[in-house]
Order: sequence, then structure tokens, then C-alpha cells
Amino acid sequence: MPPGPDRRRGSGRWRLAAALVAALLVLVPLGWYWQASSLPSTYSVMDMGYLDFGGGPGSASPAGDAHHHVGQVPPSPSQHQRAAGDGPTVSVASLRPAPTRAADVEVDLVARQGPVTLADGRRITGFTLNGTSPGPTIEATEGQLVQVTVRNDNVAEGMTLHWHGLDVPNGEDGVAGVTQDAVLPGHTFTYRFVADVAGTYWYHSHQVSHEQVVGGLFGALLIHPATPARGVLDALAVSHVYDGRSTINGRAGDVAQVAQPGQTVRVRVVNTDNGPSEVWSSAPYRLVAVDARDLHEPGQVTGQSVTVTAGGRADLEVQVPEDGTGVRVVIGGSSSLVVGPLGASAPSPSQPKGQLDLLTYGTPTPVGFKTSRPDRSFDYSIGRRPGFVNGKPGLWWSVNGHLLPNLPMFVVSEGDVVKVTISNHSGDVHPMHLHGHHAVVLSRDGKPSTGSPWWVDSLNVRDGETYVVAFLADNPGIWMDHCHNLKHAAQGLVTHLMYEGVTEPFRVGGKAGNEPE
Amino acid sequence: MRSAYRWLAAIIAVEVAVQAAAIAFAAFGLFKWIEDGGVLNKQVIESDQNAGFSGEAGFMIHGINGQMIIPLLAIILLVVSFFAKVPGGVKWAGYVLLAVVVQVLLGMFAHGAPGLGALHGINALILFTVAIVASRKARAVVTSPAEPQAEAARL
Repeated sequence: MPPGPDRRRGSGRWRLAAALVAALLVLVPLGWYWQASSLPSTYSVMDMGYLDFGGGPGSASPAGDAHHHVGQVPPSPSQHQRAAGDGPTVSVASLRPAPTRAADVEVDLVARQGPVTLADGRRITGFTLNGTSPGPTIEATEGQLVQVTVRNDNVAEGMTLHWHGLDVPNGEDGVAGVTQDAVLPGHTFTYRFVADVAGTYWYHSHQVSHEQVVGGLFGALLIHPATPARGVLDALAVSHVYDGRSTINGRAGDVAQVAQPGQTVRVRVVNTDNGPSEVWSSAPYRLVAVDARDLHEPGQVTGQSVTVTAGGRADLEVQVPEDGTGVRVVIGGSSSLVVGPLGASAPSPSQPKGQLDLLTYGTPTPVGFKTSRPDRSFDYSIGRRPGFVNGKPGLWWSVNGHLLPNLPMFVVSEGDVVKVTISNHSGDVHPMHLHGHHAVVLSRDGKPSTGSPWWVDSLNVRDGETYVVAFLADNPGIWMDHCHNLKHAAQGLVTHLMYEGVTEPFRVGGKAGNEPE
Repeated sequence: MRSAYRWLAAIIAVEVAVQAAAIAFAAFGLFKWIEDGGVLNKQVIESDQNAGFSGEAGFMIHGINGQMIIPLLAIILLVVSFFAKVPGGVKWAGYVLLAVVVQVLLGMFAHGAPGLGALHGINALILFTVAIVASRKARAVVTSPAEPQAEAARL
């Protein structure tokens, strides 16, 4: 029997109501997550996410695991307070070397945005320091005080300089919105730090860094040992992709490095890109340093490449053959440093299948602190999941299951031995970079490090890998601990390490438009 | 609403074809470029700048389409289905959304386990078929007034 018109209308109404309810069930949660993910226009990184005490002091307090989410509740002054501790506090702005000490090395830099002519003549649009990209190489000798004054000529969004790998006092770290305000056009900023450990470093902007570093706002920083190695020639190889093409020191293809037959050459590779690079050589080499830390008794390597992660450095020592030919050091595949007499040819080795494993390379020596009984242990588990970040839907990087801004703030006290377990199950490689500290690798996937102490400031964590690293908390401040694939950082793969008793006056956003990533 | 359902489902099917075209164009463009001497590595990929081969935009189109536009279309299709009074419409919109979710997850995890890429390819055909069926369900309502259920739905 067909239903009457009334019943039909009635069922139509029910149907519409059911449809509305169903639609709301789909749309309301989406709308809620979307709305809840938006970030305030200005905030302190100290109010971001939640405090993680890593099992150290502070965890027992009732507020220890409280979640104060930027974007969900108003920024909580209590979090500042609690993390800073009850004792006296110090601002990051005051964590700087004594102004009374005279500088040994003074450098003036001018940052510009616009056309760039690379060393090989190619023209691109990007950023320069003193008219070039890479900017001038800053050189100093161990123990000297370096003073760099940078003037921002016309970089519209502002800029900063971060001393990548150099464990400077926090106020000199150059992170916009965390350790200083971005240097706006027409303004200057002076950085001062002691060049305390010899090695290969680099510097780059840490304001809108995912655009400024890619566009060329960086340079190399070389600290020579107080007693230079005899008969070893230094060769810098700053690797960067400009406008889709790999270059070394701004030149694409084969780049000549003149050296005498039989000479030992230390090739200092700096990876300024967002992705890791493989480096190999046509002659046997020794990997003498990683991230500005010498390896202990490194052996000779043949048939293997070295992985230099994004932001990382590797110093390879090669010997020029006596027969007048050169040694080719291939960086990334398409560009090479050809080391040898002027005009020397060098064989083109294909990429080795094996990679040098630094877990077993070299021989052990004490690291200077007890890694077996850490005061704090943190997990830094990197995943990927769908969600909203600042109102944008997408597949986002997560830390310990959370998306930006609900990320952990790792809290330590000065003097702590800190263990961090970094695991990656996100489907992509992440070059993890901790500011202000060098960490020593203890193990990878449960396999302990049995070679030379392997110190890093930038660690290549591939998908599926788990690294355990340890560091000594000896440099108070608020330090970024982030992915140096700077796009990933801009997408939210950024956490911070803070010391008890430290506060900071700087804000992300705000008048200076601070945007560190 | 019914024609909205019909066209949304059809657009999703077309989008699947766009995805296949974009990724194939990109892959062949890349291999041609490599044969001509180009070198692709993680540094170049992550620089987010054009290496300069034909079809390169295909990678970007595939990513944006697959991670943003198609999921959005599938969610809209599901919401529309509640109102569209297409027989089995909610069910088929649900299948479309399910296939999209599976497809996105396969695409995501295939970066770590390339074998999943094979399933990603096969699931694309499933999504395509399901979207076509959904679209035809809506058309069937319009063109077969003999169906009593459909008649009731139209009143």
C-alpha cells in the first residue's frame, strides 16, 4: 500500500532532520579541529605546547604534565613561571659574552634581497651578504672573540644570523622570536662569541629561514686550531642548490681546487640544503671530522660514501696523487671538487653502494661526561598524520603524537646529563638539529656506538630509524631543537629545549614580525 | 542536490584520471631528464625549486590534488549524499571517501615502503570505479521514473 501524502511529508521531514544531523556529525568535528588549530598572532615559544621534564625535577609538581596549548587556552603566565622555576631568573637577552672584552676578529656584513650573481655567472633572485652568496667566509682561530655586525639593507621580512653548530651563548644564537627580534631593514645587530672549538661551521638567517636560507642568506665559518696541522691544505666546499642546480661555492659542475702532487687536502663539506647529501671520492679518504668535532683515529675509507645531512658538515682528508692527476670529491652527484694541480683531470667514480657507518668508524675515547646515568630522558618521536595546523588541513609532522603547537617543551637544569631517543616513523628523512649543544650518538636501532665518539649538531634520522643521543646541559637558554629540512620546520617540526631559571622577552610574531622557521 | 551528487562523483572520477596523467607525465619527464644528464638527489628535491624537466609540475599537481582537493571533494560528496535522496547514495559516497582515505594513506606510507605504491595504483582504479558507480546511481534516479522508490524520492 502506497503511503499517504501526510506520511510521506512526515517521513520527508524526518529524512531531512536525519540528513542535517549526519551532515553536522561530519562537519562539526572538522570545523572544531580547524578552529582549534589556529595560532595566535603573537606568542612566546615558552607558552607553546606542554612541559616535558624527562623524569627530572619538576615532573612531580602537580602542574608537571599540564597541557597549556597555544590556540586552545589563553597563554598561561603560570607556564612561564613554572618552567622558569621558583629561584632567580635570567633573560636570554642577557646571556651574552662580556661586552668589555675586545674583539679579535671583526666582520661587517650587509644583507640584501634581490638579484644574485653566482660565482659561475648564473643570475638568480635571492639573498646576498656583502653582495655575494654564499656570503663571505668568516675565519678565526680557536679562542678568539669574533664580532659580526650585520646591517639589513632591504630584506623586507627582516633577517638574523644563526651560527650553525657553534655552541654560542643563547643571546647570540640568532633565532628570531626566541633569542632576538628580527633585524628589520635599516637596522643592525652585533653578534659576539668566542670561537672555542676548531672546525667547520656555517651561518645563516633564522628568520623565515625556509625561504632565506634556500635563497642564499648564508656563509661558511671556519675556526682554525690554535696549532695548525702542518702541510694540510684547507679546501672549503659549500654545497647549495640554487634555483634547482647543485653548486659548490656557487659554481655548478666541476670546481677546481689547486693543490700540489702529494699534498694532503682537508675538504670541508658544508651541506646548506634541506636534504641530505652523499659525498664520495675517486681516491681513498679519511673522514677526520663531523659537525666540527674531530673523529678519534679515523681509518682510511674506500668504496663508501659519507652521508652529510642537511645543515651538517664533514671534513674529508684526501691525498693528491704524485702522477699529476687530481682527486675528485663528488658532492651529491652532479657537482665535484677536483683537487690537484692546475688543469688536472680526475677519474669520475660512480656512487658507491655502501655508506660509511659512523657507529663503528674510528676508535673509542672518553666523551667527558657519564652517559650511562642520565638526569633526564626525553622521547622525540617523529610521525606524520592528517590534521590541521594553523587552520590548514594536511598531512603534518607530529612529535610524540602531537601536532604544532601542542609540542613538548623539554625542560633541563644546568649540569644535567640528558638522553634523547629520536625515532622516526614519518615516511621521510629528518635532519634533526639541536641548537647550542653537541650531542654524542649512543646507539642506532639498539646497536651501540663502538667507534669514535660521534658528536653531532645535525643528525640524519632516516625513516624507521631510532637514535639515542646524549648531551651535557652546559649552555643555559631557550634552544630550538628542530628539523633542518627548513620546510619541515615551517610545517611544524620544531620543539624547544629550555633551562630552568631562564625566561625570554621575545615573541613569535609581534612588531618585528618574527617568524624563525 | 541530486545533480550536485552526480557531478561531484563524476568530478572525483575525472580527478583520478588527472592524478594518473600527472604522475605518469612527471615520471617520464624525470627519466628523460636523467637520460640527458640531469642528477636528482634529496638536496634538489627538497630545494623546492624547479630542476627544469618537462612534466615536473606533475609531482606537485599529484600532491596537492591527492592530499587536499580530492579528500575535500569526497567529504563534500558525503555531506551532499545525506540530502540528495539517491538510492544507496550515502553508501556509495561512503565507499568513495573510504577509497580516498585508503589511497592517501597508501600514498603516504609508500614513501617508506615502496611496495605499497603498487596497491596505491590498484586502489586508484577502485576509487575511479566507485566514483563512476556513485555518479551513475544519481543518474539512474533521473532517467528511470518507473522505479517506485525513485518516484517517492522525487516528490
